Amino acid sequence: MRYPKPVGRLSVPGGKVQLATAAILVATTVAACGGGDTQASAPKAPATIPELTKDPLTLSFIWFDWPPAHALEAFANAEYAKERPNVTIKVNTVPNANWHDAMFTQFAAHRTDFDIPILDSQHIGEAVTNGNILDITDFVKKNIDVKAYNPYLLAAYGQFPQAETGKRDENASMYGLPLLGDTWTMIYRKDLIGDKPPQTWDQMISVAEKCQADHPGVSGLAFHQANGSDAAAVTYNTVNGIYGGNLWDSKTRKIDGVLNDTAGHEAMDVLVNKMKPLTAKGSGNWFIDEVNAAVAQGKACIAFNWIAASGGLLDPKQSTLGTTREQILDKLGFATLPSQKTNLVPLGGMGMHVSAYSSKANQAEALNFMKWFEQADIQKKWAAAGGVPARTDALQSPEFLNAGPFNQVYADSVPRMRDMWNVPEYARLVDIENTNVNAALNGAKKPKDALDDIAKEQQSVLDSGSRKGGGGL
Amino acid sequence: MSDPTTLTTDHAVQVASATPPAPRRPRRLSDRGLAVAFISPALLLLLGMSVFPLLWALYLSFTDYSATRGGQAHFIWFENYTAILTSAQVHLRALTTLIYVVGAVTLQTVLGFAIAYLISRRTHGRGLLTTLFLVPMMLSPVVVGLFWRFMFDAQFGVINSMLGSLGLGQVEWLTQQRTALMSLIVVDTWQWTPFIMLIALAGLTAVPKYLYEAASIDRASEWFRFRTITLPLVWPLLLIAVLFRAIEAFRLFDLVYILTSGGPGVSTETLSFHVYKVAFLGFNTGTASAYGILMVLVVMVLTQLYLRYLNKLKED
Repeated sequence: MRYPKPVGRLSVPGGKVQLATAAILVATTVAACGGGDTQASAPKAPATIPELTKDPLTLSFIWFDWPPAHALEAFANAEYAKERPNVTIKVNTVPNANWHDAMFTQFAAHRTDFDIPILDSQHIGEAVTNGNILDITDFVKKNIDVKAYNPYLLAAYGQFPQAETGKRDENASMYGLPLLGDTWTMIYRKDLIGDKPPQTWDQMISVAEKCQADHPGVSGLAFHQANGSDAAAVTYNTVNGIYGGNLWDSKTRKIDGVLNDTAGHEAMDVLVNKMKPLTAKGSGNWFIDEVNAAVAQGKACIAFNWIAASGGLLDPKQSTLGTTREQILDKLGFATLPSQKTNLVPLGGMGMHVSAYSSKANQAEALNFMKWFEQADIQKKWAAAGGVPARTDALQSPEFLNAGPFNQVYADSVPRMRDMWNVPEYARLVDIENTNVNAALNGAKKPKDALDDIAKEQQSVLDSGSRKGGGGL
Repeated sequence: MSDPTTLTTDHAVQVASATPPAPRRPRRLSDRGLAVAFISPALLLLLGMSVFPLLWALYLSFTDYSATRGGQAHFIWFENYTAILTSAQVHLRALTTLIYVVGAVTLQTVLGFAIAYLISRRTHGRGLLTTLFLVPMMLSPVVVGLFWRFMFDAQFGVINSMLGSLGLGQVEWLTQQRTALMSLIVVDTWQWTPFIMLIALAGLTAVPKYLYEAASIDRASEWFRFRTITLPLVWPLLLIAVLFRAIEAFRLFDLVYILTSGGPGVSTETLSFHVYKVAFLGFNTGTASAYGILMVLVVMVLTQLYLRYLNKLKED
């Protein structure tokens, strides 16, 4: 009888196993290293759109999950298909908090499952510096009527390096085109504070204070305070702008001493000591949805939210303010933000860009889509479908102005817009500001300390280029 | 007279000789070769999915590499490690993580053991009770986080509603520094107490009944029996459960992400959550790799010390 030999160590020579293991590791390492493209500048898109395919093609976008994303998919499939019946539009959505990571981890892999990333204006610097999106300067010159836009809107969603507030540098390179314009609107209860909205920020605070005192159970204010995405940061930046502060000096890349100057501290004081006490208890983690919920349930006298996210407020199914849109509109008013020392409002919205890692056929289709989308009649149709266009003619069209009670607010706000920093370090800068403002709003830090910490930490991020090791801490 | 045994033997020999010999196995496929062939896929998978990423992360931890910026990875040796170990930001997250781990694991151990002890004393419905208690453990942490977020909501949450009906004031569970970390501990305890309970129950069931019978004959009190029989026999198993839970709690990410996003400010940011931010907000891959390696080292060293204690306990 044959017995199995006792199995101890395999008779395969140990040296061979080690050699094979080493070979596998080396091969994998080489493969991993070889995948990296050392080029770090945006590749150029052709000036003329290449020949488009006649085969079925899916053009994919990536955006975060909110009503405009669904509106875009429905609108593009209905309208673009008339011109390109072989093309299907797919808008992939991710939770807002994962939006940046979802796009940039794919960029890091140099392979994307989307052709058109919809970037926040502040993401452009990071994407351009890393060579993740196409330089479409020549394409824009040849195919887009740039004079049809407010120059700053065009610059904010496409230009890099960042344009000065309110201006566009015609010699700068372009990396994107506007998809959805946006800014904050003030939402106020006409039945509680009257038809006329407050005109100054101080007046707004007084009105909210009185409203809260007169109506127990209803808070004076509702605004973004969460420490995710850019929620609390946008709130502080808005108040900072209104009280005459600056986020930075872009020419000298100086934040410390600029952000936390007298105006900056006054803005932080107003936000934490005058506005926060007028908000609902536990609202320290509120963002878009929570503010909308408070308004829809009649729990806030005055609220601030992005216009593009305000459509649901008029839906009787989601509101306790009325059983019809008209009844709700009897109670809700929408106005531009009150001014104080300046009349600045935050620039929101996003542009569309072309992934440098899409196939040539999809890149060509993406350019064709962008050209199609920026036409005057299409922009008006987009407005009628619930979008916020960027072309001046579309902004002033009845299709846009009559589509929603807040659209006039947007049209009036365009000349007042200010953006944040559009630099490769944006994601870290906004996280520093978000966490510190959120800490100040929730009592975890004194307002002065929070602002000084923001300035110091953000400056350290901007200055960390020459630092060895520990980047990101 | 012929010998039937011999006949049978002859027949067997005939049958055996009629059976064709088994085909000879090719020389190359020896037993050991076959063994190598069988384990190779698993080995390759292990190398590709675990060993290589670990070694790659170790290599990156000595560089300034960034996944999005691309370009060459420059060796900066221990600069990342030095920066992490001396960073006040990291110290703060380490303290938060420590408080969380100690708070959550202690609470889970006490509650888990107490529930297991009570269940073990029941003779009827023990299986059903155990199954019911295990339900939270089977849920996804994201789902758990989301529904606890609703329950903790200061305005509309069921917890504040209950407090209100008792005449107590509203508590800002997730937005105040003192309560946010406590809320995370409560949620983790709700979900993972059943794990400790399960292990403790296994230990309690394995205690020989004759020990209790002998103690009863000696008229030993309930407390004496618990202290001298139950606890010493279940203790080693319980410590293993504590080890597993401590390692899990040390790398907590999901509940923080869903419930507080690390807030208010950064007061509930754990080490894992901070690594995530370093890795994906600024794509500082080198720093994040060093941070991850250090976390693994901490777990390994603490686990080794803990296991030594366990072995000593076993020997004693």
